[in-house]
Parts: sequence; structure tokens; C-alpha cells
Amino acid sequence: MNGIHDLGGMHGMGPIAPPAQEPVFAHEWERRAFALFVPLFGAGCFNVDEFRHSIERMAPAEYLEGSYYEHWLHAFETLLCEKGYITAAELDARIAQMKGAN
Amino acid sequence: MAVTKDMVPVIVKTGASARVAEDVSASFKVGDKVRAKNFNPTTHTRLPRYIRGKVGTIIMDHGVFATPDAMAHGLGEHPQHLYNVVFTANELWGGNASKDTVSIDLWDDYLEKAGV
Repeated sequence: MNGIHDLGGMHGMGPIAPPAQEPVFAHEWERRAFALFVPLFGAGCFNVDEFRHSIERMAPAEYLEGSYYEHWLHAFETLLCEKGYITAAELDARIAQMKGAN
Repeated sequence: MAVTKDMVPVIVKTGASARVAEDVSASFKVGDKVRAKNFNPTTHTRLPRYIRGKVGTIIMDHGVFATPDAMAHGLGEHPQHLYNVVFTANELWGGNASKDTVSIDLWDDYLEKAGV
């Protein structure tokens, strides 16, 4: 699809300047997001192409503002809901529960 | 498939290959000039917009791989040849001053023979 992910040739995005000592994970939650991929993929919940496409389908503004692992989290939520492994209500309830815990 | 502890390092390190052990004939060979098709599917594709309609040269045939355009939509593997195709920066962006090139992996279906 001609989505926001297809940025090749676009101007005005600023220089690509990764820090010299870039950490593998910028936040602790990213470590957990990464770890989710293997069991979900391994259990056949989705394949890598479905995973990529779910990120491409993100709302463009959200995509541009989101970090790499935010994209991953979005993919997990989208695909697990679409494929019926969890419901949107279950996801919302869990988010509310975690917010309450903080 | 249940993921066991010993499988985790392998999956994390190498991922899962999309190579398919099936004998599929190749439409092109190394050295062929090819044009990337101009198509705009609303579904998943690995053919970026900036490559469409451009002419490049096949520099490697990786063999037979599952097609992401099909895999992303539950349409099976649709195995076909995957090639590494090199495009000059001048072909992609115009002008004639650059010596840069872009090498990109493209599936057989994405390509057509470039007219001479």
C-alpha cells in the first residue's frame, strides 16, 4: 500500500544521525515488547508479513510520532484483536488496570 | 507450534527464513535489464513507490521465496524467485552526476523485461 511507511525519496525528515552508543532498548518496556514477538510468531498468531502490514496501516500521524517498539506494540494489539485472540474490550480493561496500578 | 527455550536464541538471531523448497522457473537471469511494474495495491507489497517504473539490472538470483504480498493476506506462499536488482541513483532521482546505486530485493511478479 502507498502508506506513510514508504518514505523513500521524501525530503524534510531531517538528518539520519543515530547516537554513537545507541542502546538496544531505550526503555524497559521495549525489552518486554521485543520478547512478545517470539512466542506470538512461534505460536502462529501472525507471520512477519502480516506484522509489517499492520504497522503500515497505522494512522500516518501516529506512525510518524511513534517509536520503533511503539510500532511493534501497535502491531501486536491490532493483529491479536483482528484475529480474535483477544478482544478490544479485554485490551482496554488491561490498559485501565495497568494505569490504575501506577 | 510451541516455542521452546532452546528455539528462542535461534529465532531472535536469525528470524525465520521465507525460502521455499519448491522448483519454480525464473522469468529473469543475472544481467537482465528489468523494469519495476507500476502498480499501486492497497494491500501489502515490498515494492517501494520510488522504484516503480524504473529500470535496473539483476545482479543476483536469491532463489525461491514466499511472496509477502500474498503472505500478508492469508493467500499462501505463492513461491517465486527473488532477485537483487541494482538501480542507479540517476535512474531513480534524475540528473546524471551521481555514482550512487540502490540495491533492492524484488520478487519476480514485480518485474517486467525492460524494452531495449
